[in-house]
This record gives sequence, C-alpha cells and structure tokens, in this order.
Amino acid sequence: MDQLLQDGQEVHLVASGISCVVERLLGAGGQGEVYEARLESRPVALKWYYSQAPDKDRQQAEVLMSLIKRGAPDKRFLWPMDLATCGDPPGFGYVMPLRESRFHSIVDLMKSRVDPSIRALATAGFDLAESYLNLHSHGLCYRDISFGNAFLDPDSGDVRICDCDNVTVNGDTNVSVLGTPRFMAPEIVRGDAYPSTQTDLWSLAVLLFYFFHTGHPLEGQMEANIKCLDLKAMNWLYGDKPVFVFDPQDASNRPVPGYHDSVLQSWPTYPLFLRNLFTKAFTDGVRDPQNGRVRESEWRQAMIRLRDSILLCGGCKAENFYDVDAMKASGGQAPPCWSCKAQLRLPFRMKIGSSIVMLNYDTKLYPHHIDDSKLYDFSVPAAEITRHPSDPKVWGLKNLTQEKWVSTGPDGTVKDVPPGRSVTLASGTKVNFGKNQAEIRY
Amino acid sequence: MAKRPGGELATRPLHFIWICDCSGSMSVDGKIQALNNAIREALPHMAKVADENPNAEVLVRAVKFSSGATWHVSQPTPVAAFKWTDLATEGETAMGKALSLVAEQMQIPPMSDRALPPVLVLLSDGQPTDDFAAGLRALMDLPWGKKAVRVSIAIGQDADLDVLQKFIGHTERKPLQANRPEDLVRCIKWVSTAVLTAASRPASQVKGAAPLADNVPIPAPPAMAAPPSGAVQGGNVCRIHGEPEPCKICVW
Repeated sequence: MDQLLQDGQEVHLVASGISCVVERLLGAGGQGEVYEARLESRPVALKWYYSQAPDKDRQQAEVLMSLIKRGAPDKRFLWPMDLATCGDPPGFGYVMPLRESRFHSIVDLMKSRVDPSIRALATAGFDLAESYLNLHSHGLCYRDISFGNAFLDPDSGDVRICDCDNVTVNGDTNVSVLGTPRFMAPEIVRGDAYPSTQTDLWSLAVLLFYFFHTGHPLEGQMEANIKCLDLKAMNWLYGDKPVFVFDPQDASNRPVPGYHDSVLQSWPTYPLFLRNLFTKAFTDGVRDPQNGRVRESEWRQAMIRLRDSILLCGGCKAENFYDVDAMKASGGQAPPCWSCKAQLRLPFRMKIGSSIVMLNYDTKLYPHHIDDSKLYDFSVPAAEITRHPSDPKVWGLKNLTQEKWVSTGPDGTVKDVPPGRSVTLASGTKVNFGKNQAEIRY
Repeated sequence: MAKRPGGELATRPLHFIWICDCSGSMSVDGKIQALNNAIREALPHMAKVADENPNAEVLVRAVKFSSGATWHVSQPTPVAAFKWTDLATEGETAMGKALSLVAEQMQIPPMSDRALPPVLVLLSDGQPTDDFAAGLRALMDLPWGKKAVRVSIAIGQDADLDVLQKFIGHTERKPLQANRPEDLVRCIKWVSTAVLTAASRPASQVKGAAPLADNVPIPAPPAMAAPPSGAVQGGNVCRIHGEPEPCKICVW
C-alpha cells in the first residue's frame, strides 16, 4: 500500500557520496518509515521522515548531522551513520546499522513470546545501563526510553537501542519529543520539566522494573481504582500522584491480587539489595529528581551482583538467588525455591573482595572478577567450573587466562594453577589470581 | 516450566466498534464495495498494531444500519481472530438506532468497569432518517460513551457533515472526508492503527500541544485528495483509472 519510498529506489548519502538501494519496508512509526536497504554489499536500515514544516525538517536534519559527526557513544546504539536524500519524492532520512534478527522487542518479553533466563535478563539490564551511562557521559540525553526502542537477544542478553534521532545535548529544550506515557518522569508528565539525563534515569528504572517484574512500579491500588485509563487518568497516576507500589512509608498503592499478580509474585523472589535499589529509584527518585535517582553505574553494579548471586535449584533447576540479607534474617537458612518450593541448597561460592559469586555447574568468571581494573566484558571468560574427568564428585575452577594462578589449600598447601588447569573446589581454599584474591566457601 | 517468577503483563480491554452505513445509497458507485475492501485492507495492519501493544487487549465489533440497525459482528473479538463478512445494502439510514445499539453495550455490564477508552467509528454517506439525536443522547448519557474516542468518516460528498460532527462531540476534530476509494482505505487504516494506538498507549508526547478537547490525544489524520469540486477541470487525468478528472469511476 502507501509507502514513502519504493523498493529498488536509490537514495543519495550526503557525507559518503554513494547511493543506497531501498529493499523493503520494515515498519512505520509516528515520525516516518524504516526500510531495509543495501549500502554497497552491506545491509543497513534506512529511516525516511514524513514531511513536516520546512523549519522542522531543517531542525531534524541539523540534529542528525550533529549526531553523525559525533559518532555512536556505544556500539549498542543503532546510531545514524549518514544523512540520506532523494529528489523524488523530496525528503530525507538517515542510514543506520540494521538490527539483527536475534534481537526481540521488549513487547515480546512482556507478552512472554520470548523467555530469557534471569541471567540473560540481568545481562540485558547491565547492557542497557552501560549504554545509557556512555551516552550520558558524552553530555547527551536520550529522551524517550520505552518499550519501543530497546531490543534484547533472549539467549545472550545483548541489547540494541534504536530511535537515536531524538538524542540531543542534555539541557536542550528546543526539541519536540517529551517521551512516552508510562515511561516519562513525573515532573515531565506534570509539565514542570523537559527531558534530561535525570529524566532518562527515571525511564531506565521503569524499563528495568518491567524487565524483572512485568508490571509498572506505580500501578497498584490507585490504578485498580481507575475505570477509564485515559490521558487524564494517566497524567494523575504517573505525574500528579506517583506512589511506588512497595513504598515502605506509604501503603496506599500496593499491588492488587487479580490485577497485578506478576509483580506480587516476582517482587519477593529477588534479593533485598535489588528491591532496595528499586525502592530508592521510585521513592527518593520521585521526591528528589536531581539527587534521588539511581545512577546507571549503580544499576550496572546491581546487575553484575544479580548475575553473581544466581543459584540453581537442585530439583527443578530454576534460577534462585543467594540473598545474604534474607538468610541473616532467617538464621542462615536458605529460602525455598520460588518455582518448585523445594529447600534450596547453597553451592560452592567464592568471595572475591566484597562480592560473592555462586559457583554453579555452569558458572563462568570474567576479567572483572579476577582483576578490578578490567572492564566488564562477558565475551571472554577468565575461568569456568569443570567436573573432574575421572571423579564426577570433584569439581574445579579452570584457569582460562594466559596467566598462572596460585592456590592455597585449607591445609596450607600452595600449588600453581597454570593456564588450562583447575583448582579443586574445597571450602577454605584461597586463589590468588594475580590482582585479586578469592576464597572458596561451602 | 517458567524460567522467571511472575507472568504476562496485565492488560485492559480496548473495545473498537465499526458503525457502518448500509443504506441503499451506499450501493451507488461501488461505495459499499469500497468500504468492505477498506476494512479488509486495514485488518492486518490493525492486528499488527494490537500485537505490538502490551497494555491493551483489543476487541473488535461492528454494527450495521439501514432501515434498522443490528450487530454485524456481535461478539467482542480479538483483532487477530476478527473476520470480516461483506456488508450488503438496503433501505434507509437508521443512524440513531445504531447509536442506541452501541449505547446498550456501553453500559456496565456488559462493559467492564475497568478498560481503556473505547474507539467508536461512524461511517456514513448520507443523512440519518431516524431520530439521530435520541441515539446520540443515549450514548452520551453513559460514562463510557462520553469517554469513548469518537471518529466519523464521511463517504462521498452527500454525507451529513453536521451529524458526523455532532457524533465527535466537539469542533476541534472534523469528520474525515473520503471522496475516493483510496482515501477511504487511508482513513480506515489510520483509524485502525494510529487512533487505536493513541487510545491505549499514546505515542511520544510532543511539546507545545494545545489543551485537549479529547480525553485522548489523536494524531493528525492522513492527507486526503482534494474533493472533486476543487480539482482542476480539463487536462488532468485520474492517477488510478486514467479517466479525465473528475474520474467517473472513483469519484462519488
């Protein structure tokens, strides 16, 4: 039916001076259409704008040119690569990397059409937080974090972020997009503020809450009482009267059984440190938008800690969590599995500095575990759990690095652990990775 | 076994009702065929929009009116399962009766007391021949009638724009004017995608929007071809049929 560009049509790229061929329409949104296109032999995505008033078109083109010149702050952003123009029909757009098919929308996650593990979801949360951290550290603000513009690979937890053409320098009020309802910070909904890095932090917290709880942090009794959820009701719920559903000081907006079951079921299963962070994001974060919001680096750290705290149920293999605070409160007793209700048994675990890593049969350690100065990188493991080849009851931690480690057994025996060899898991064994020291416990 | 605690996102129902004129005049110049075609054309796009919306459960129905009014599709049907049966024409234009029929369904019950704003789409090519005001009053006396996003589409030049405007309920939005089959396709696609989305998950908000007369912000409607009276006579040729303008095949 109607589409702005025709399949096979060529558009001209301004900076590189080459042409790009339209292949097929992928979808349409409020601002324009997105096509798959071919740039020389590479597949790319091409966004083409609906025509607006000439001054608005000019403004959008200027924003794009500045983004293209600046370059992507992070490889996870599907960032504008070059401005595209065409004489017939007159108009413009931009090319960007094409999203691979392994990435699914957050809507698929909300509708249970993809089923990532909690580890993959925590990795996706980490990726998102780090991407926005990198964007914000360049002085830029995203403005419209929501379901529609982040995508995840349910197997690996990798993310991609699209719709980067609304990105502006933080503090720029001369732009039109204010955000998407349910994700906009309360002060924007009320009309008291424009999008900024501070309001991006609110939207990021909402998206992460949706990730783990499949519900909205402000939708409880107050939402249940609303008959017609129209814009006026939304403005009241998300702007005028934002009350976190688990606000420890205000029980007026608790989730309601029958309406908010997902949140009610999932909230108590997550460790206290993560619940505390969400509570801060949606209580202090409402009262004090400037200083009360959770920073991306805090989310990043929490997602790493969540990954490290995953322990598998011995019965049903469901992912549970080592929650040291909850265990202290119950006299050292691990809770039952959230899925099969069997009593959980703690696996071997490793204390590295202040963090504790569960050593499940499939656990891997990464460079940041063995050396604090290393960046987070999940593509190259530094160690993995292995089973002894001839004695299946014995487990070990295999050195996947190029450096030698040194282990000290519970009896004080010191051994070298060269690359490719393993240190046997035994409570009290210490491992010196070179930079970091760790102790195995059971 | 579920890999994660919790479940799917909770949704609210969004009722979408087509209210279609099937009076005798709709048989002239293929208007009813164009309407059937436009709705069929829009359904896959509507299903896609509903599919991409995690917050709403979109349920579709249709009313037809001619000498009387009756439900064409009576059960609220998830859009992915919605099947269109072609409408046929006969008789007069009982638009008031059609609105009364919709009003009966806007009461609680059968409406649930928690929902997203319903979307009501009135399509007509003529003048009501019954008590339109009584039907509209019955609808607007109900809370869900008032809260509904009401859109009207004038098919051709003879539609009564005044009643279609009254159905909308305020003057900031106008009835959509579909003078050609391709305009009707565009209008119906717009209603079943852009308006549907706005009713459940308003798109990114933009700065400087005027205060709303609607309880739901409705995006700008699609651009339509100029009505035939405004077309340049002589020399111009219909892009679709190659006939001299005004095209006898597609201009009603």
